[in-house]
Amino acid sequence: MSAIVRTEGLVKRYDGTLAVAGLDLDVEEGEIFGLVGPNGAGKTTTLRILATLLDPSGGEAEIAGLSVRRNPKEVRRVLGFMPDVFGVYDDMKVWEYLDFFGRCYGLPADRRRRLIGDLLELVDLADKRDHYVQSLSRGMQQRLCLAHALVHEPSVLLLDEPASGLDPRARVELRELLRELRAMGKTIVISSHILPELEELCTSVAIVDHGRVLAQGRVSEIERRLRAGAVLRVRLLDHADLDRAREHFEAQPDVASVNVLDDGTIEIGFRGSDVETAKLLGDAVGAGLPIVTFARAASDLEELFLQVTDRDAPVVLQ
Amino acid sequence: MTGSAPEIVEGSPAVEPVVTAPVDARRRLVGRPAGIGRFLTEGIGGIVAVGVKELRGRMRGRRAFVILTVYLLLLGTFAWMMEMILEKEYATILSGTAAFASAQIGQGIFIALMMLETLLVVALAPAFTAGAISTEREKQTLDLLATTPISSLAIVIGKLFSALTYLFILVFASIPLTAVVFVYGGVSPDDVIRGYAVVLATALGLGSVGLFFSALVKRTQAATIISYFGVLAVTLGSYFVFYFWTSMTGGGGAFTNGVGPIRGKPPEVLVYLNPYYAQADVMCGVENGFGEWCTRIAQVTDNSVLGGTTTNAGGVTVDPAPGVVGADGGGFKPMPVPAEPAVPGQPEPDRRVAQDDVSPFGVVRDTFWPKSAVSWLVVAVVLTLASVQLVSPTRRLRLRLPGSARRSMRSSI
Repeated sequence: MSAIVRTEGLVKRYDGTLAVAGLDLDVEEGEIFGLVGPNGAGKTTTLRILATLLDPSGGEAEIAGLSVRRNPKEVRRVLGFMPDVFGVYDDMKVWEYLDFFGRCYGLPADRRRRLIGDLLELVDLADKRDHYVQSLSRGMQQRLCLAHALVHEPSVLLLDEPASGLDPRARVELRELLRELRAMGKTIVISSHILPELEELCTSVAIVDHGRVLAQGRVSEIERRLRAGAVLRVRLLDHADLDRAREHFEAQPDVASVNVLDDGTIEIGFRGSDVETAKLLGDAVGAGLPIVTFARAASDLEELFLQVTDRDAPVVLQ
Repeated sequence: MTGSAPEIVEGSPAVEPVVTAPVDARRRLVGRPAGIGRFLTEGIGGIVAVGVKELRGRMRGRRAFVILTVYLLLLGTFAWMMEMILEKEYATILSGTAAFASAQIGQGIFIALMMLETLLVVALAPAFTAGAISTEREKQTLDLLATTPISSLAIVIGKLFSALTYLFILVFASIPLTAVVFVYGGVSPDDVIRGYAVVLATALGLGSVGLFFSALVKRTQAATIISYFGVLAVTLGSYFVFYFWTSMTGGGGAFTNGVGPIRGKPPEVLVYLNPYYAQADVMCGVENGFGEWCTRIAQVTDNSVLGGTTTNAGGVTVDPAPGVVGADGGGFKPMPVPAEPAVPGQPEPDRRVAQDDVSPFGVVRDTFWPKSAVSWLVVAVVLTLASVQLVSPTRRLRLRLPGSARRSMRSSI
């Protein structure tokens, strides 16, 4: 069994509200695991339970084979946690901040000194060593917070919405940093409500809503499953052909729905494979439709996300 | 999944380097020495970690030292002014020797300084600690701290001591100034120790009151206000209730047996946490026994009574049998009784005091302040443990559950 982070039937109730309703997760070692879901899906609660900050109402959660409920102290030694909202202490310098957490983990002074240098190098804050923490930009504070979570060389990192509030450049830097950490052999669990953020980064994702996992697996696997429910976007040269085009597409096999948007884009709900997609395009061109663009909707995962987290008709993918 | 090592899938040795990390981590954990030694090392390490962090912030730059200097200057000026006042007062007294007047001035300065130190502690201790935990919550740094292996107890104790350290520095820095009274005489070193013991115990107790409310209430502002209500309750409040009770018994202090609507004098415990009564006891020991501090403390305790009026000072054996003067009314009591073999099978009457507790002026010493100091220490321990419960992320008191659950709910969605 190589799952390093595992939850089984995890339940958390707050005053009668079910925040996590029987959540099962399996994160293998060395993965960057994305926990995706809309706001209120139970991501933060799950991560906080894993980080030993909340007691689960039911179920089991384990990190490196240690129960978060029974061995919270030991779990804290193998995991690094970065909450979604976190503050920084006033009146504290960057190196003192890391030194403080080093002391919290009981690291000896010489090791702390070495480690602070290495970590600041890693998160690209070496030149900010003697700056006050509150004077750093949001992105820098985020990286410093990540560095704090690495002080004790944990094998698992739990990052709650690490990219929220960051500008695009800081996001790219964070992504690079996470890749580097993965190369160092760390397992990273990262939550987000923005899919594209995770799409390129994660090796596996779990899509969570209403406190349950709706889909879980390798990104490529989920994508493959998704093929059956892709949305194609088609634009024509001339809007005069819209009605003819709609009729044409509606008559094709594997087409579930055809919508014409206000700007003239035709959205086709299509169940066919890549081969059938090619055929659909070929037939349309053959029928004399002046097609300018023909493409799968921008983000596959985004579409999936919207489909599976549809509040009215939640689809549980197997 | 138990603690077993992750299996390495056959035919895929390439995964090995990644797999080793947690196994090592686990081995490291299992290999740690368990027991009280580890508990102590980790606990002290945690307290030091929090303490160093707090003090770095507090003592950074010149600010802390400038405040200390200004404070000492003000305190010095105050002591000098007291000296001038007392000198003028005793200049008008024609009788007595210069040495006697000098001793009186020394006592006057000492009393004034100790009262001021007590006021300082009462005013500042809650302010220093009332933000200790709530600021962490407000700044959202408590979670970061809670995910480290450092225990809640270490966090709370580290916070309490680092918050009080600066106050202790202020108090200790005043000791050399207080020592000026030795130049005048009339005050002995153990009086100074008694006075400062009361100040420090009160500081610790009131500090823990601030800390407790800081852990209980979300906002620093609210925690500060509630803490000061607590301070008012134990100082002015307890005094007033005591005064009210005494009045209702039909008289002020002595000989108040059964005249008013309330029977019996108010219990001592009412003012255990009032640092001014504790200081009054210390001051009574300094005085000659006829002064106002002794009268005040005599209203509280039956024991601390001046000698020389009912018995010969110096300890003539008087049987303090119950039922004689002031047995339950509280009031003047027969003076010191030298140690006398207890009658077998009969408990020694507790109003007896040993010969060496009596000062040359016939004042029974240490009847009240040790109780006050111990009470504050008990309060400190109880409130610190309660704060630990409130700080601990997963083991909260029932009392707190609804509010905290709603809060965490809000933060999680």
